[in-house]
Amino acid sequence: MEDYQAAEETAFVVDELTQLGRARCESWTTNVVEQTSSQLTKLGEPLKYVVTCVIMQKNAAGLHTASSCFWDSSADGSCTVRWENKTMYCIVGAFGLGIGPPSPADDLPPVVHLLTPAMNSVNSFLVLFKSVLWHSQNVEEKNK
Amino acid sequence: MEEYHRHCDEVGFNAEEAHNIVKECVDGVLGGEDYDHNNINQWTASIVEQSLTHLVKLGKAYKYIVTCAVVQKSAYGFHTASSCFWDTTSDGTCTVRWENRTMNCIVNVFAIAIVL
Repeated sequence: MEDYQAAEETAFVVDELTQLGRARCESWTTNVVEQTSSQLTKLGEPLKYVVTCVIMQKNAAGLHTASSCFWDSSADGSCTVRWENKTMYCIVGAFGLGIGPPSPADDLPPVVHLLTPAMNSVNSFLVLFKSVLWHSQNVEEKNK
Repeated sequence: MEEYHRHCDEVGFNAEEAHNIVKECVDGVLGGEDYDHNNINQWTASIVEQSLTHLVKLGKAYKYIVTCAVVQKSAYGFHTASSCFWDTTSDGTCTVRWENRTMNCIVNVFAIAIVL
């Protein structure tokens, strides 16, 4: 999946140093999202993108993330990358949203399949209160 | 990353309205609770689902992405960032930070206009 590869390559940017410093961490999260976003747009797909990144020190407290989306399941999709080294965890979420009017169920352009999750349905657009709930649960270390 | 600030209002997306909706949801789910590893899954799921439901009920022509991160308070670092490639005249975002004695919660709402 092209989205997955782009996000994973960018996550390795943060593997420069082993110590977690506050100032560096702040620039890492910024660099990760900016580089991921620019690499995704370079794919040239007719999509808008939202990229989020969470970096958390290891051997710290518990962390839980979740996301829920209300969109056109035939045109939009998401991808999560979890990355870690010996001092920190990094969770990157990339969301791609189709531009233009919602597609009819039997008229999906080929590019949509790159981002369409496996559980995608082809129901009509704007089915109220139907959300794609996706949990990203990576860090569960407790305080020792 | 800005702290304790809402992202600026975009034309077409009412960030203040979304902020109030999300803050109410988080208060309702986490208010009065201490960090609990057994319940945290349920709490984060409830926050994103309830926030999304209330945003959809506004009846506006938007697609929504709601993300939530809850972290136990500690002496250690925690950073988040986001980047968006979209139409700045119609799309917008809102970030809500919430905390109590034992945990921090960050909720991001991204609203992308639907072109009909």
